[in-house]
Amino acid sequence: MANQNILIIGGGPAGIEAAKGIAALGYKAILVEKRDRLGGTPDEAQYAALTPDFRDTDEALGEMMAPVLDNENVNILYNTLITGAEGSIGNFNVKALSLGKEIEIKAGAVIISTGFQHFDPGRETQKYGYYEHDDVITLTDAEKMLKAHNFVRPSNGEKPKRVCFIQCVGSRDRQIGNEYCSKVCCGIASKQSIEIRRLLPDCKVFIFYIDMRMYGYWENEIYWVAQEQHKVNYVKGMATEIVKKGDKLLVKGEDTTLRRPMEVPMDLVILSVGMEPSEGTKQMASVFGLKQNKYHFIETTGGVLDTVSTSVPGVFAAGAATGPADLEDSVSSAGLAAMKAIAAVRQSQKIPA
Amino acid sequence: MALDLSYNKYSDVSYDEKERLFEECKADDRWSHVLYGCYECGICVAACPSARFYDFSPRIIAQAAAREDVDLVYTLMNDSVWDCSQCFSCDRCPRQNSPGQIITVMREVAVRNGLQTAKKALEGYGRIIYKIMSTGSQVSPDMLQPNAFPDWGGHVGEISDNLEVWRKALPPETLHTTETGWVVDDKTIIELYLIWHMTGVMDMIESIDEGLHMILVDVMEEKLEEAGYDVTFD
Repeated sequence: MANQNILIIGGGPAGIEAAKGIAALGYKAILVEKRDRLGGTPDEAQYAALTPDFRDTDEALGEMMAPVLDNENVNILYNTLITGAEGSIGNFNVKALSLGKEIEIKAGAVIISTGFQHFDPGRETQKYGYYEHDDVITLTDAEKMLKAHNFVRPSNGEKPKRVCFIQCVGSRDRQIGNEYCSKVCCGIASKQSIEIRRLLPDCKVFIFYIDMRMYGYWENEIYWVAQEQHKVNYVKGMATEIVKKGDKLLVKGEDTTLRRPMEVPMDLVILSVGMEPSEGTKQMASVFGLKQNKYHFIETTGGVLDTVSTSVPGVFAAGAATGPADLEDSVSSAGLAAMKAIAAVRQSQKIPA
Repeated sequence: MALDLSYNKYSDVSYDEKERLFEECKADDRWSHVLYGCYECGICVAACPSARFYDFSPRIIAQAAAREDVDLVYTLMNDSVWDCSQCFSCDRCPRQNSPGQIITVMREVAVRNGLQTAKKALEGYGRIIYKIMSTGSQVSPDMLQPNAFPDWGGHVGEISDNLEVWRKALPPETLHTTETGWVVDDKTIIELYLIWHMTGVMDMIESIDEGLHMILVDVMEEKLEEAGYDVTFD
């Protein structure tokens, strides 16, 4: 007899949404999370507010996870790492280390929602001096300060007067190997620029970009708002290097549309780091024997019309485990994965165990 | 000559002064209706007839203004704005900017503040300004002098010799004029004088050409006094 339980690996937005869907349809979800709480990267990295609606992250995530926290159909295993798997659709036997103890989980289908990690700007080159200059930070560092409503220069604790974002750090770069667009950084930089301008009205904010990728409603809800109402300066042209000049950082690049070289002093530089597969995503691909793409995200097999099926029947992937994804993408694919996982266990009931 | 966008052009003018002029542009009621944000996409340049003949870019006008680049706006206010033919072909902007109308505002600020470049750009228009503001018509038959438009050919001289006869040959009686393009009623001219007085046009003329202003004031004050108006241009 096939097992009807569905194992979800990773308790971020995608995993929570999948568990909610499975439980609501009357099936049992086992939600495995390596940390001692749900919420995933938005929680762990302390995002201040969501893009594009500026909703408070804690409040939004809290509301989202409430239905799974006290739900007889959802069994959450915190502090648990998956270590091995065997079996196939209808009968997966998964080994895990839960609170230091080895356990075995039986499931008919698996959803992997292990997400992404932020690109480490010091990984390949030091050209932007992330580890060299205190006042060169990343989107995630900025998000933490914005969450605390204390947006300052790390070097001296003073409020910055000039801040710039450098887009596409670790994305769209053949030399680094991440050739893809990380999809969310244009929106997040624009969102943060609005937050900075609200917090520090005298601070000038610049965004140096290759293309602004503000699809759908992000266009008029954040890009236009940042540029028109908050006078954020969008300059098409990438910074090539950052050098320290006295107390300031000198950002060198080209103002391409004005066809002139650019050397502008900044108090704070924010690197818009993109997404890479998380360690968990790479490990789960290996544990379950899933095909990965050249960037090591889990490869989905159905092209654009099936965004969650993997190379192993009965194993689905949702959210940023399959590639750069925003929250809308993540919860949408999680809902689809929940539906397909349930369909898979129902189907496999017809197959003798 | 290529448009010079270098940072140090007009470095002799203080940043505060440039900012004051930019703030004057922004304070104009039209500003927020003609400038939103700029994609820097160039659709305005593609539509612009001036851009085909001069090193002129309505995009750079809009992007400098949208970026609030005070130095660059000042540079453009002294150069580029006078290359625009004010045809508003640039109004097809997807963000609904109107570079042409941004220029209108920038020109007015340049004139009101008596920028040397505005005076120079408008120098050649003194005769036309005098004509339109004193008579209410822009071009008049008596401007056809043999030496005025040499490229029109020698027959211009023949026409100017017998101007009144030529004009009488035109059927509409309202065109039997030589000093104005058509018969301008006194009532019309009085109304025009009052409009120019009340809307600040006379002040703008004064700030770019005091001599022209003096001559116009003489003409206007006399006519207005005759018509029973007690108006002084000071």
